[in-house]
Amino acid sequence: MTSTEQQPATYVYGIVPADVMTNRETRGVGDPPGQVSIVRVGDVAALVSEVVTDRPLGKPEDLTAHANILDTTAAEMPVLPMRFGAVLASRDAVAEELLREHHDEFVNALHELEGKAEYVVKGRYQQDAILEEVLAESEDAAQLREAVATKPEDGARNDRIALGELIYNGLAAKRDADTRRVIAELESLGVEIAPLDPTHDEDAVHVACLANLSAQSDVESLVGRFADEWEGRVNMKLLGPLAPYEFVVTERQE
Amino acid sequence: MTTAVQPAGGGGATGHPSSSGLADVIDTILDKGLVIDAYVQVSLVGIELLTIDARIVVASVDTYLRFAEAVNRLELSDTEKQGLPDLMENMQSGGAKSKTKGALEAAGDKVRDVLGDGQERQTADRRKDDRR
Repeated sequence: MTSTEQQPATYVYGIVPADVMTNRETRGVGDPPGQVSIVRVGDVAALVSEVVTDRPLGKPEDLTAHANILDTTAAEMPVLPMRFGAVLASRDAVAEELLREHHDEFVNALHELEGKAEYVVKGRYQQDAILEEVLAESEDAAQLREAVATKPEDGARNDRIALGELIYNGLAAKRDADTRRVIAELESLGVEIAPLDPTHDEDAVHVACLANLSAQSDVESLVGRFADEWEGRVNMKLLGPLAPYEFVVTERQE
Repeated sequence: MTTAVQPAGGGGATGHPSSSGLADVIDTILDKGLVIDAYVQVSLVGIELLTIDARIVVASVDTYLRFAEAVNRLELSDTEKQGLPDLMENMQSGGAKSKTKGALEAAGDKVRDVLGDGQERQTADRRKDDRR
């Protein structure tokens, strides 16, 4: 770094057991991407790379690099993901202020996560199927639909809004019911569960769970069963193994 | 900073999964994970994603009108099953079953995609013989 404006800093991806190894070619966030390396203190280590702080992070490549490094790690060993954008002044700062300072709690948290990873179950309604389902179950909606259909395009705005609201609420009720069913099934696997907010109007299910890597096939077949049952109605998707983003939290101490 | 392994308690970050793996990544990682107190010691590299933060699913008149429109078009799709192209976004045809299988692989694909430019998949291996 020759330019004085380009203050180098150390980006932290996550905390792992000290027996981690990185691949030399693994590239991290930033442009050009930093090379991922390890800072070790005692039994814990941090996955880090150099970044310059002269420009903001947040390009798609930065997000995917961050997630990718943590998720590939999570498939191999416990990892405590840091929030995207976590930066310390230097490798020394990572060692002293982060790892040494929090050594024992990191050890404990990593121990709890041993052999586990996060899986995210996502379902998205197939629009025509779910609209027909909602219409079939709501007389009001069906009537409004008739009214709207027989009026000129711009003459029925209020009816259209009312119809849309009915459909939207009907769909939300479906989402709640379907999400509850998936959660109940996941609970029967004995995994820890974190329901997530929907991120799309037509989301059917959005739930994270913390499962044993060895139980991945159980989660897969559970999602597969729902995919079969809801074929043509909901597109099911399973993400994972992922780093336990939803299950590792910083506890606020006031 | 105190670390605990427990559900973070509801989703916070939301994006708009209209395409590819990036939307999933945004949903998955944004605003998640440990926060370092020591943050303040470096004026953190900014995050250009604030606009995405704002894209939480909120019902509005526009949303309602969009659904009304979708229902209106549904009638067409009774006879012409191909309807709703613009509202279908990334809904692919094909059964949910094959979709799931695709998605299970997609989790791995995502990783490969990201590393598509000739990088190794393996980020970190456990060094079994060198514990310290």
